[in-house]
Amino acid sequence: MKKYPVVIGATVAGLAGVLSFHTSNASNALSNTLPVKAKGGSQAASAASAPPTTSGATPGGSTATTSPPANASATGTSEQYGYGVLSVKVTVVNSKITDVKLSKLQTADTYSTVLAQQVVPYLRRQVLAAQSAHISGISGATYTSEAYALSVQSALDHLHFK
Amino acid sequence: MSPLVHTEDVMGTVVSFTVHPESMPEPEVRAAVGDACRLLHHLDDTFSIWKPESPMSRLRRGELGLADVPPEIPLVLELCADARDLSNGWFDPWAMPGGVDPTGLVKGWAVEQASEVLRRAGVAAALVNGGGDLVALGRPPLTGSWRIGIRHPWDAAALACVVDLDRAIATSGSYERGAHLVDPRTGQPSVAAASATVTGPSLAVADALATALAAGGDEVLALLGDLAGYDGYLIRADATEEATATMAFAD
Repeated sequence: MKKYPVVIGATVAGLAGVLSFHTSNASNALSNTLPVKAKGGSQAASAASAPPTTSGATPGGSTATTSPPANASATGTSEQYGYGVLSVKVTVVNSKITDVKLSKLQTADTYSTVLAQQVVPYLRRQVLAAQSAHISGISGATYTSEAYALSVQSALDHLHFK
Repeated sequence: MSPLVHTEDVMGTVVSFTVHPESMPEPEVRAAVGDACRLLHHLDDTFSIWKPESPMSRLRRGELGLADVPPEIPLVLELCADARDLSNGWFDPWAMPGGVDPTGLVKGWAVEQASEVLRRAGVAAALVNGGGDLVALGRPPLTGSWRIGIRHPWDAAALACVVDLDRAIATSGSYERGAHLVDPRTGQPSVAAASATVTGPSLAVADALATALAAGGDEVLALLGDLAGYDGYLIRADATEEATATMAFAD
């Protein structure tokens, strides 16, 4: 049995479900970042630590234009995911996702909190590394990552991020 | 055009819809997704064994006979009997503690019915994900294939592999929500597989066979190798892996 080297963060998958909708950047972002190792993280880490450029900042994500603001952040919708509710805040600098913060996490029980805390850092790294992704879904329970991805997507929609 | 995404909290899980509208007006897409969600809630009310007043619960308690319950129930039980035969008894709703329990098939079946609502409404490309059991309609317009990751059984942040999905995929495992698989031959929790995935043309059948593969391991994988249209991918409890020859692994 061939062992498959694809060890993309699971997070990706759910996430990817959402982010894959922005396909315009996908091929470039992916060619730079794949294969993404779930725990290797060197590319992800470098993406995460890339210094944000502050020049040319435009205020807020509320602009009605269709072109994305160079620098902005927006909070995604609160997503129910079966075991809780989460939402994220996404920051874009120079039309690149530079940060994703968890802005809300409420879970029904301790176990779900522990699971979310394990999964969320990977999801964040995957968003930063890939900027976009190309998996449509995950088989096997992935409620946390789906909710994360949906919240990220809604934040990006606010920012008109393509 | 961006796909429309909707998530619905139903059947004790989250069902997400990703619909590529293509030429279909968005209000029509939303109406179809709404209809599909109403169907899922109706089926949950009909089949849930966690709802004491559901017809399925009342059937299990003997308060109703097969002639008194909604027609979906005998239909699903027939599918269960077929899946029991296909799996050589490794999927057996009649061997569950507490009375006949079609749960291992009914979620996949319900998600498949929801996808049929979309198809009949004219949706050409969509993915419906019922808590990790997925069914696809058509192909996504830009990428041309549905790439589905299979969650790694021990690392929630990793994928065990990626497959190109033609129609339906179901994965059973004992991760995340604790052991829920029962060996129908012993009535004890099953330990054969860490993760069991089945792909094929019907999500109802794939769901049941994934449950069977998780309980029966290699014996069921061999059955799947001979079953036209279906494939299996097994991660054993000792972390070794095996798949049927035609499983559609992506690069």
